[in-house]
Amino acid sequence: MRWKVVGTEKVVYLDYQSSKPVDPDVIAAMMPYMTEKFGNASSLHEVGDWSTEALDASRRVIAKFINANDPEEIVFTSGATEASNLALVGFATRNRQKGKHVIISEVEHISIHNIAKFLVKNGFEVSKVPVDFTGTVRLDKLAERIRPDTILISIQHASNEIGTIQPIAEIGKLAREKGIAFHVDAVASEGQVPIDVQRDNVDMLTLSSNDIYGPRGVGALYVRKGISVNPLIIGGGQERGLRSGTEDVAGIVGFAKAAEISMANMATESTRLKLWRDQIIEKVLETVPRSHLNGHKVNRLPNNAHFRFDFIEGESMLISFKAKGVAVSTGSACSSKTLEPSHTLISLGLLHEEAHGSLEVTLGRWTTQHDVDTFLELLPGIVKRLRDLSPLTKKEEA
Amino acid sequence: MHTMSKSTNYSKKVLEHFKNPRNVGTLEGDNVAVGRVGNPVCGDLMDIYIKVGEDGKIDDIKFKTFGCGSAVATSSMITEIAKGKTLDEAMQITRQDVANELDGLPPIKMHCSNLAADALHEAIKNYKEGKHGPAEPGEARFACPAGEAKNIPGLEEFTGKGVYHGYEKPERFKDKRVLVVEFDHESVEFALELTKVTGRVILASPLKDLATNDELKIEVKRSDIKHLKQAELVSISGGTEVEKVRIHDLDENEEYDLFVDAVVVPA
Repeated sequence: MRWKVVGTEKVVYLDYQSSKPVDPDVIAAMMPYMTEKFGNASSLHEVGDWSTEALDASRRVIAKFINANDPEEIVFTSGATEASNLALVGFATRNRQKGKHVIISEVEHISIHNIAKFLVKNGFEVSKVPVDFTGTVRLDKLAERIRPDTILISIQHASNEIGTIQPIAEIGKLAREKGIAFHVDAVASEGQVPIDVQRDNVDMLTLSSNDIYGPRGVGALYVRKGISVNPLIIGGGQERGLRSGTEDVAGIVGFAKAAEISMANMATESTRLKLWRDQIIEKVLETVPRSHLNGHKVNRLPNNAHFRFDFIEGESMLISFKAKGVAVSTGSACSSKTLEPSHTLISLGLLHEEAHGSLEVTLGRWTTQHDVDTFLELLPGIVKRLRDLSPLTKKEEA
Repeated sequence: MHTMSKSTNYSKKVLEHFKNPRNVGTLEGDNVAVGRVGNPVCGDLMDIYIKVGEDGKIDDIKFKTFGCGSAVATSSMITEIAKGKTLDEAMQITRQDVANELDGLPPIKMHCSNLAADALHEAIKNYKEGKHGPAEPGEARFACPAGEAKNIPGLEEFTGKGVYHGYEKPERFKDKRVLVVEFDHESVEFALELTKVTGRVILASPLKDLATNDELKIEVKRSDIKHLKQAELVSISGGTEVEKVRIHDLDENEEYDLFVDAVVVPA
């Protein structure tokens, strides 16, 4: 196990899906590129060359991370959101003459839903594929939505909320057979589940640096050779003209270092987290009455446990945990900007009141047995106290 | 969808009668008759009890209604209008009178849910024909014309494609998310039966509580059934099969979507 990050000592941090600390080895790798190796990669002198070499090396690492055929297929961006914008908006606008229909799933990250809304406003049509009760995309429903003018399918590798892993190999096969481009948002799964864009027939893939313990503000889009996209940021022509702007070399070096560490540790780290995850799931369902697991029992991210508890509300659980120094997450409406419950939970077929009662626990590189034990010790008491306050509980028991 | 959301745009008076219905209950005795109307597909069933005095006037009137907001409100309102009237006067009360007293009903609710006048007339007719006593389940008369059952968009389109009429073959719902529309004991029993084959059974009841016996009520509470109270099925949508239903929460007077794979309605 790698050393504990300073700053999380005071808090039992169980919200790794929201944000991750940067690995100290990553910071060490980045440092020279913020000090002596500060050159602009476009400059032809030696100082510029150091940056060019670092960029090329980083591109090779990220290509290897997802088994891309050619490092040139990696476009560095300011993060996953920009990468997904480039994939959906860039591809759709470039390929408009081939068709105007795009397919996404109901459980995509909110950023993909909002990009899809933008496409609709700009003359495209978007269909959403429903999921089953485990959150798995229904392949039959996907096939049903494919039209002669469908140009793009965008499906996540795994859900950032409920952790369900999608059958992307099957979807990739179907998309390839139909001659439709396939984009995968791999932000939630990267570093936890191996990704192979060649094997799975993925044409575009979104990556985020922070989700593998790299710095924030860096991401990448894999764009397979032969796939044409319009750039969204126009300027000096960096990144093969697909993403202009002087490269953040330090950030990209950090991203690549994070990918290297991830590749070396993925198997052992995932195994370790999976054991804790299963321990948490088993204990919670056993010790808390009327508790339910959201998402798939088996096909789920190694670090994700997502529950709902009848009669109580997620934000009040979150605040109770906060008071005890534990950081968790919820899909409750009261915690969202729009006051709407999580669209992912609703798409499972849950009612609003059930979505309100959700609690998400996500583990990571510096999770300890103490963190897991603390959560498990506190949960039954917190649930009981809130249920004693809840009118819904009384109604049910009456 | 826009017209459907307007269908729940009830007047304040409708909502007031829905929340505090007058004259809820049943009546017994020799000078009592009951009228029952309703259509299970519309989700309404209404019993109106009248007690006729020696002067030929309606002395007392009670109702029991299983249905949406306007069904409850129109029942409540008609008991207020009819009380004290002679049988002939009461026969003159129309659906429109009831709607007017309630400051109007959404157009789509005028026919399917405004059954109160029909139930009252049925009770008067039964009284005059000497048919006294409680309503029998077999006596239900479907006053709502068959065509109006189609007022639930998608019901006909998805029949056999996720929509099933009646309580048969629970095994075909294996691992599916099933919405059962509560209608009678059988519907509740079927929902309980379904919990053996799938982890997701939703029972939608139009009233605040199940209209069934205490034993079944306790069983439902103890089961994994998700019980929706005061919930009305508004529409069914999907691709080649059912994917989603729209539910009207009568308590909050709000509509929302619910993802399901199948819907079970009465035969």
